[in-house]
Amino acid sequence: MSIKVEWLDYDVIVVGSGGSGAQAAYAAAEEGAKVLLVSKDPLGSSDTKISEGLATVRESGSDDDYEEVLSENVKLAGGDLPLKNITDTFSKYSKEAYDKYRVHGLRPSINKVKNSPQSQPLPMGGHTRNRTVGHENHGIAFGHANWDAVIKEKNIDYIEDSWFLDLVVEKESSKNNNKKIHGGLIYDASKGSLLAIKAPSVVIAAGGLSTIFFPKTDTMRGNTGDSYAIAMRAGADLVDMEQLQFLPFCLASPPSYEGLLAGEPVTASYLGVLRDKNGKVILDGVHLRTRAACSEAIMRAVTDGRGSPNGGAFLDMTANKKLPRSGPYFMKFLETSLPTAYINARQALGKEAAKVETFWEVRPGAHYMMGGIRVNDEGASVGGDKEGSVNYGILGLYSAGQAMGGLFGANRLGSTSLTELAVFGNRSGKAASKNALLNKDELNNKLFIPYIKEYKKLFGQKGSISAISIKNTLQKESWSKIGPVRTLKGLKDMDSLIKKLESKLSDIAIPNYALWNQSFLDYMEVKNMLCSAKAILLAARERNGSVGGHVRLDGKNISIFSKPYSTVVRYINSNNYVVNKLERDRTPLKNLINYKLMELKRLLEAKFLLMLPESIQDRKLEKRYKNIMSATGKAPEIMPGGTDGAIGEKT
Amino acid sequence: MKNNNSIDITIVTSRDGKEESVLFSYEKREEKEKPMALDVLLQAQNTSIPDLAFRYGCRARNCGVCTIDINDRPRVACRARVKDGDKLSAIATLPILSDFVVRRDGIPRQLRGLQTSAQGNDLNIEAPENYHELTACIECYACLDKCPMHAKNFGGKLPKENKDKLPNPDNGYKYGNPFSLLKLERIYLDPLTSERGKELALQKAIDIGLEACIDCPGCKCGVGIDLKGKVIRPMLEKAKNKL
Repeated sequence: MSIKVEWLDYDVIVVGSGGSGAQAAYAAAEEGAKVLLVSKDPLGSSDTKISEGLATVRESGSDDDYEEVLSENVKLAGGDLPLKNITDTFSKYSKEAYDKYRVHGLRPSINKVKNSPQSQPLPMGGHTRNRTVGHENHGIAFGHANWDAVIKEKNIDYIEDSWFLDLVVEKESSKNNNKKIHGGLIYDASKGSLLAIKAPSVVIAAGGLSTIFFPKTDTMRGNTGDSYAIAMRAGADLVDMEQLQFLPFCLASPPSYEGLLAGEPVTASYLGVLRDKNGKVILDGVHLRTRAACSEAIMRAVTDGRGSPNGGAFLDMTANKKLPRSGPYFMKFLETSLPTAYINARQALGKEAAKVETFWEVRPGAHYMMGGIRVNDEGASVGGDKEGSVNYGILGLYSAGQAMGGLFGANRLGSTSLTELAVFGNRSGKAASKNALLNKDELNNKLFIPYIKEYKKLFGQKGSISAISIKNTLQKESWSKIGPVRTLKGLKDMDSLIKKLESKLSDIAIPNYALWNQSFLDYMEVKNMLCSAKAILLAARERNGSVGGHVRLDGKNISIFSKPYSTVVRYINSNNYVVNKLERDRTPLKNLINYKLMELKRLLEAKFLLMLPESIQDRKLEKRYKNIMSATGKAPEIMPGGTDGAIGEKT
Repeated sequence: MKNNNSIDITIVTSRDGKEESVLFSYEKREEKEKPMALDVLLQAQNTSIPDLAFRYGCRARNCGVCTIDINDRPRVACRARVKDGDKLSAIATLPILSDFVVRRDGIPRQLRGLQTSAQGNDLNIEAPENYHELTACIECYACLDKCPMHAKNFGGKLPKENKDKLPNPDNGYKYGNPFSLLKLERIYLDPLTSERGKELALQKAIDIGLEACIDCPGCKCGVGIDLKGKVIRPMLEKAKNKL
């Protein structure tokens, strides 16, 4: 049997139907393009849908929230790795892009005085202004809006249960660009066919790569690094791929809950500490620490054999709870600041733990990729020096959302990812549509042939192993070697492991039937996972000290006073990659010194508090809780992964 | 050999239209573990059925893609505990592609191109509370169970009982379901939907077979939305002169 091939023509292909994909498809269709939206998971079932549903909307709270204020805020949070023109664009279009969501039915509460979406009462930590808008039903409300955008728009054809396999690229095009998109190849598992789609523009919006690791947080299973692997195989630059966010306090057991979020550093509150299996304190002042510092403390204990039974450590918050005056406020804070995490913890750890009468066993889980496909402020693929040029990128390739890199650098502010995908989803969709009108007539069927041959051949591949076995090994090894903490030795071992696993791909047994061939799907996903793992590994090796989401146990912390740089990885062939550094502009010294002084002040204050007699401590804490809680007795909500979840990461 | 540390579960696989019941012995990973249905599927995939096909996403009952039947009742697999003797199979209300994977797109496609966007220009209007109650829907399709309207797509039966005459989902199923009605009611309740948009939403509900709801005892939501009270009754009330 040979799988049948169907040929189709479109202006724009959008890969992924989550937030960025839906927004890009709608924007492209609005510009008049004929759009194909392709999704492997059911329509809109993405990280956007399962998110906390908090969005950054400039000027929704503070009146003095000028464009340059938000832009600098994002850039500094990212350790100066983000590009100014990209953070400027994010800031400039945040309101407009958010309103596109409202056109499709996202309905926030309205501030009647300002006549704008109602922001949360206080600035989220890390944000210098009040600008975070929450939504009923969290990310699910965004999911409905994405669904509506795709379903209602007649110019969008959508197919689900379909895996985008590879971009079809002309290596040396006649124009300025080195490379040019001619379309892509898709496996439609629901019909059992290969789709050869000729299209001058492709927007990659297929999300992140957290599934390379286990444990991971509640991010979608489908995050198998498809975005990065597809772009990489086509020869696109990937930027800051070592900058992967791990959340330190994920559940370690029971198995059904492993990896799901239990809390953030601030959850530990003023008196929370981390303990090893012997009860020894391995980190104090937890609420002021960065996620990386928390992960590092846990992983050092595990490495030394002092870890908890399930490979983590114990979060001890009992000191907060037992104080007579402030204790009840702490409990309220715990229950309301991260409601979904608290529910996870209560279900998984039981009543006593929920009442903070016992310790919580926690370990880090993979969450969010801050790096990604290297693009400009329109989401177009770029290459070359500094901020890059489309002339050295791939003509016709665009990206948005978690798939793209450049906006967040080494860290991100809470509530920015939903705004990122709205801003760059829209912009990439529009730009892709314009490109399609200019380059429509030069597409070449012949270029598809080698790709079709390569994939046809896989149906019926003889072999002795299953893709799942490779996937399991990769998840485990990635976590320990390119995960929350890294060493040069671990990175070297990982390189050999990836090579070994890649060589096994040809030994995966794939039956020859065409309809929903699960073995083929698993093969494809594990191939993409290996490719993305390689990109993380190469970038991690290039950066030999710790910064942001990249923690080197055997390297120094990279000072924020040193010249910032981003890493770039480009694939030449499976044995040959180009890896280098791109210098970034540093924020003026004065701002950096201010930042350092503020950090020192916070830590001294915390130490001073601990030296006070318990009764005075209690009164001081009661006052502090009262200040942050609203009249309803609820704490302001925290976004998992946002800067307010880890005060130590505030800039 | 059965021991105290394992649970016997029947897994119904489906390849090329042929169903097969496989007895799978789930090995508990902790003494007191009470596994979810998804844990069983994952362990089966890691051991005896490496190419077992099933969907899952967030493992926290938010994404809505892992719905399966447990003892012939639809449940969200990541948050449904199983016990010795349980049977796991694909949801029976949609056609099976492989094992636990059903083709879902015939549902959303029935609202393709629905023109409701001739909306007001002022976005700064609050939605009523019942609008947000509907937005809690995670699209798990548990509500298709025993829905007489949806069953009409398959001659009043289940898809597997009507294999020879399965409708083509490419243009959306002809007859509706509680999810589609929820989507239409949500459009209707949206303060930004124009009067014309509301008319179109209501007409669409009638076109996809709202009349089937008149004598129906009601549908059950996978995440606890009061479908009968918040969707079906208001729709029937609005359409009463048109049915």
